[in-house]
Parts: sequence; structure tokens; C-alpha cells
Amino acid sequence: MDNTTGFSVEPPEAADAPSSESRRGFLKFAALTGAVVSMTANRALADGDIAFHAQDLSDEQLVDLFRTILKIRWHERTQADEMLSNPDYRGYNHFYAGQEAVASGVCATLRNSGPFDQIDVVYSSHRPSGHAIAKGVDIPRMCAENDFRATGLNGGYAAEMHLSDPDVGFIGADGMIGPSMPIATGSAFAFRARGSDQVSVVFGGDGTYATPHFHSALNNAKILDLPFIYVLENNLYHQYAHYTYSSPHKDIASAAAAYGIPSRVVDGQDVIQVYNAAKEAVDRARSGGGPSFIEAKTYRYYNHWGAPGAKAGELGAFGYDPLAITSFRPDREVRAWMQRDPVDIARRTLIEWGALDAAGAEAVEADVKAEIAAAFAWAAEQPLCTPEDGLEHVFTQGTVPARQFG
Amino acid sequence: MTQKSWMYSVLEAVQWEMQNDPKMIWIFELTPPVASTPGRPVINLETEFGRKRVVNTGIDENWMASCCLGASLAGSPSATYIPYQGALMPFQVIQNVAGKLRHMTGGRASMPVTWIIEMTGQTPGFAGQHSCYEEDSYYAHIPGVRTVVPSTPFDAKGMMHASLRSPDPVVFLYPAGLRTLVEDVPDEPYEVSLEKAAVRMEGSDLTIVSSGAGMPEVVKAAETLRDEGMGVEVVDLRVLKEMDTDTLVNSVAKTKRLLTVDQSYFTLCPGAEVIARVATNVDGAKYKRVAFPDAPPPASPEMFLWMRPDADKIAGAARGLV
Repeated sequence: MDNTTGFSVEPPEAADAPSSESRRGFLKFAALTGAVVSMTANRALADGDIAFHAQDLSDEQLVDLFRTILKIRWHERTQADEMLSNPDYRGYNHFYAGQEAVASGVCATLRNSGPFDQIDVVYSSHRPSGHAIAKGVDIPRMCAENDFRATGLNGGYAAEMHLSDPDVGFIGADGMIGPSMPIATGSAFAFRARGSDQVSVVFGGDGTYATPHFHSALNNAKILDLPFIYVLENNLYHQYAHYTYSSPHKDIASAAAAYGIPSRVVDGQDVIQVYNAAKEAVDRARSGGGPSFIEAKTYRYYNHWGAPGAKAGELGAFGYDPLAITSFRPDREVRAWMQRDPVDIARRTLIEWGALDAAGAEAVEADVKAEIAAAFAWAAEQPLCTPEDGLEHVFTQGTVPARQFG
Repeated sequence: MTQKSWMYSVLEAVQWEMQNDPKMIWIFELTPPVASTPGRPVINLETEFGRKRVVNTGIDENWMASCCLGASLAGSPSATYIPYQGALMPFQVIQNVAGKLRHMTGGRASMPVTWIIEMTGQTPGFAGQHSCYEEDSYYAHIPGVRTVVPSTPFDAKGMMHASLRSPDPVVFLYPAGLRTLVEDVPDEPYEVSLEKAAVRMEGSDLTIVSSGAGMPEVVKAAETLRDEGMGVEVVDLRVLKEMDTDTLVNSVAKTKRLLTVDQSYFTLCPGAEVIARVATNVDGAKYKRVAFPDAPPPASPEMFLWMRPDADKIAGAARGLV
């Protein structure tokens, strides 16, 4: 959230940090999965329960999946570099890097263009830049919005935590933890009520488990058989606290299963596995089969907010995060997860499947880097906002009176 | 006496009360109860009192507020820190349970509970949902709950001791914009009244009334006006419920001019109540009200900084009144 987190005038000693048995357990888990994947290229193959929908994708569709992952990755890296090295840059982000395969795999199963009454809708909570890109939001205009420009996606009113583009079904980022889940079920309710086969998807983190909204959304979605998909991105931390502080479940999906909702745990670093689970859920929702829950085990490469601990030109953030105060991520954990990078896994899979070769993958990445660089360059040229416009858009028409001058 | 921040002062009071009452509990989410200041030991309630009494929960402000109310009803003084993301999530339990319980039970309920509720929204770039300076208006409206908003580290510590010892429920607003404020604060415990406003500057030409995060800019404006020769009286409300009417009326009876300043939205901001109380008690006074417009704060610094009341705008309004 903002830089008000924490009370300290000076950072306390690292020795104040509580150690947690469960967190050490997770380190082992991370290391173990890393070892498994280094031996088998595609963990998705190990889950025989889920139909292998990704096999049906054309080479072009597979390359698009890879391209989406790269767009998110290079957006995050470019923005981090701007924040770290350009003193004139004013934007910020809750970085999504490390989690790209989740948004990319899920949104690839959705209708992202066409008339508004036919496209699927996505709600995001935190780390929305990845969800927005995957859903098809215009990247240059998003970059301009994140830098508070008048021609940004939302005219400079929203910034990163409140991005919205209904034209592509990205209803938007809810900066709070919780409210978007029941609201997303409301969209699903409308789809069912009007006989549409549209689907409503919400992305939430492990922190959403503890909120009353998590339980309310799942209970009502099940009771009413809503075309609703809850994608829980378990990146192990809500802000600075490990998720074992807020959930008794190792797999949060088991809580969703208790509501009678078909629930999957997938490797969130493997876009193919995410795609398979999402396709299954979307097919179920469209055919009137009701809600689904997908827990993607994933990890963020940066700290909760901004780029503390990151260096320009390098991926990821390491070391003590002064915002974290008593709870911070061990470097070893970050590095263990970076061994299972969603970009690398997707690239390797596509090359193995013959969808493209190494040179082709390099060419795609070069294209994407150029596209993202151009987006940031365009955004930096955009006009700043007009102060008085702050009084607009409170209601459909007109402005509210200025009150700050007495 | 040591230089302390607002939050260090608050946690020092909480630490003392917890050391002296083993029944007392503290609940938090996301923001650990840790504070440090040069020359004093680091305060860490979680490590000092252990996870039985001090718990880091999931993101569930309704539970945090309800848990503390329940603990207080069972005889454990309790406090929680609700960060700004969830500032209004506990509203129902505070408004429809705590606020009514003493009256509804014929005076039998005792509720030594303090909800420290963060207010934020003074940082350009943080839009809409990440701004909640209007919550003073909502909480001040509830009968049966004392709502206070200390604007200095000294007051914050004394009012925290008073809140934790009070059998009335207290909403203790923390304007995050004050987090860098530092002043000399005694190391030993003391109380500051939960019923009195403070006159921060005396003068006979104009009364400026504000509270919480509004105070630093009001004081800055008042100093400018004083240098221009205006006799400015500055009143810091400190307490929104029950509002200290006497101090307000006595001041405006003298100055005959009242300017209220709020970071809250214009409609029903604390200044509206101040003007109403004064106007029904003082004849022939003139009034002006400075507040944030009735619009959610936008992200763009150009829009936001123009909309936010600051020292220049406050001084301009004051000059128009005198």
C-alpha cells in the first residue's frame, strides 16, 4: 500500500523478526518443487486429473501465451528500472513479476474482445498490471495512467491500484483486499439472470482467505450456481506476513472445496498447467456448471510495494525491506523460486513442443521489449492533468464545487 | 523526556498499560506493533507480550474490532490497530453494537476497548480507495463512542493512556500524515483528557478550528497571518465526540470570526458541527469553512494538491474573513 506502513523512525534490528517453523517448511517445499521441475520439463503432465486442453492450442496461440507472459515481465522490469533510475518518473507499482503465468494462462481462456455484453469480465485486487495486460488493456495508456497522465487509461484519477478498462472486460483493480470477490459474483449473477454464457473471474491473493468476502463469495456462488471463477494466487505473503498467519490450510483450495466448489491446486509458474485448469473452469461456467476455484502456487520477485531491494537492470528484489519491519522474505526463498521462472518454463515448453525454436523465442522477446519501451516513451510524453478536473466525474454530469478555498 | 513520534508515543502508552495489566490484549494485521526512536529501546509488543496476548491476524478488520469489543466485555482492556485499507470495515460493530450497548443495557455494559483507526490520503499519487480522511465525520456521528484525533505525539500518548483506562469505547483516529512529527514526550505515563479541545495559539481577530492532520497546515497558516499582524486564535479539537463546545464558544465570542479547516469532505465535516454549535451560541459572528471538496481524492498530484486544503488556501480564506 502506501509508504505509511510501519511505525518506525529507524528500521529495527533484523533480530526482531519472528522466525516461523512453517516458513522454513515452505522453503523446503520450494526447493523440492524446484528439484522436481529441473528433472521434468512439464509439471503439468504430472497432473492426470486435468484434461490437457493446452494440447489443442495452435502454435500461434501458444506463442501468444508466451508473448503475454513476456509483456507483463518487461512491463514490470521496465517500470522498476524507471522507478530506480529516473528521478522524474512518478509512478509506482505493486509488482506482479514472478506471477505472470497465472494471469496469462487464465485470461487466454477468456473472451477478451467483442461487444461488452459478450466478453468475460475480470476483477483484480492487488498487482493489477499483470491482470490488465493479460486481459488486453492498452499498454501505453496503462503506462500513462500509472504515471498520472491526463491521457492515461483513467485520466490520471486511478493510478496503478485502481486501473479499469471495461472495453476489454477489465472491470478493474480494487485496491482493497476482499470487496472485489462478492462484487465479481454479482456480475456472475447478472450473467446467469440474463441467460448469457459470460464468465466472471476474480484474482485475489492468499490474503483474501481471511476476509469475510472470501467466504461470502464462495458460499453465494455455490448456492446460486454462478458462472464465477476465483483465482487465488498464493504467493505466500499478504503484504509482509506469511499466509500461515491467516490461514490454517496448507492449500487454501481445500477451504473452497468445503463450500462444495470444484477446486484445483496448480503450479502457478507453469502457464500450461494454469491454462488447463482455467479452461476446465471456464467450460464448466459457460455450460451452467457453476463456480470453480483455482489456487495457483506462485511467488512475487519484488517486495510488497515498490522496488526496495531491487537494482536497475536486474530482476527481483533482495535483502531487507525496510517497509517489512518484523517479517521479511529470506533471499534464499526468493532465489529458490526464481529457479522456476514462468518465462523460462513457458519458453522451454514451447521449444520442446516445436511451437517455436530458440531463435524464434529470442525474436518474440526482442519485439516485446521494444513494444514496452515504446509504451513507456509514449507515456512520458503525455500531458499532466489539469487541477480543476479533480472536480469532475463525481457524477455522470457536471462538477462539484471547490471547497478548499473557504 | 525524549523526542518521540506519534506512534512511538502511542505504543509506549500501550506497552505500559500491558505491563501493568496482564489481562490486556492487542490485535493487529499487516502493521506490526513495533516502533523505535533514537535513544529509547525498540518497542515490539508482539515479542514482549507473546502471541497469546498480541496476535497478527489475517485481513479481517470486522473480526479485529469485534474481538476487541468481546475481550473488553469480558473484562480485558483491549486495543487494535486498523490500517487504512479497512478503516470502515469495523463500522457496523462500532456503530450498531458498541455505540448502543451501554445505553441499551441500561448502563450495565463496560467496554474498555480502543480502536486505533488509521487515516490516510495526504500523499499525492494515492487515489480513491487509498484515501480515507473522511472517516472522522463517520465515526464522530456515533453516540456512545468517544472519537478522538490527537494531533501531537504528546497528546497521542496521554490520550492513549486515558482511552485504555476508560470503560467507554474509544475510536482513536491516527492521521498517517502526522507520522513524521516528533516532539519531546515524557517517558512516564500521564493522561490527557478525552473531553477537552486545546487552544494552540491565542489571538482576538479570528478563530481557526481544525483537528488531526489539518493542524500542521493550520499552524503554518496562523504563523504567516500573525506575522502579517493578524491576531489568530487556533483551536485543536482533539476530541470529536463529545465535542468541547465551551472552548469553541468562548473563543468565537471573543474573535467574532470563525474559520474551520478539515481534510474531510465538505458535507458534514467536523467543521460543520463546530459552526453549528458556535452559531447557536454566539451572536453576530462571521464564518467560513475550508474542507476537501465532495469528490474522492484523485491520483494525479496536480489535481490532488489543488484540492487539498493547505496553508496558503487557509491563509487566503482567513484574509477574506478578517
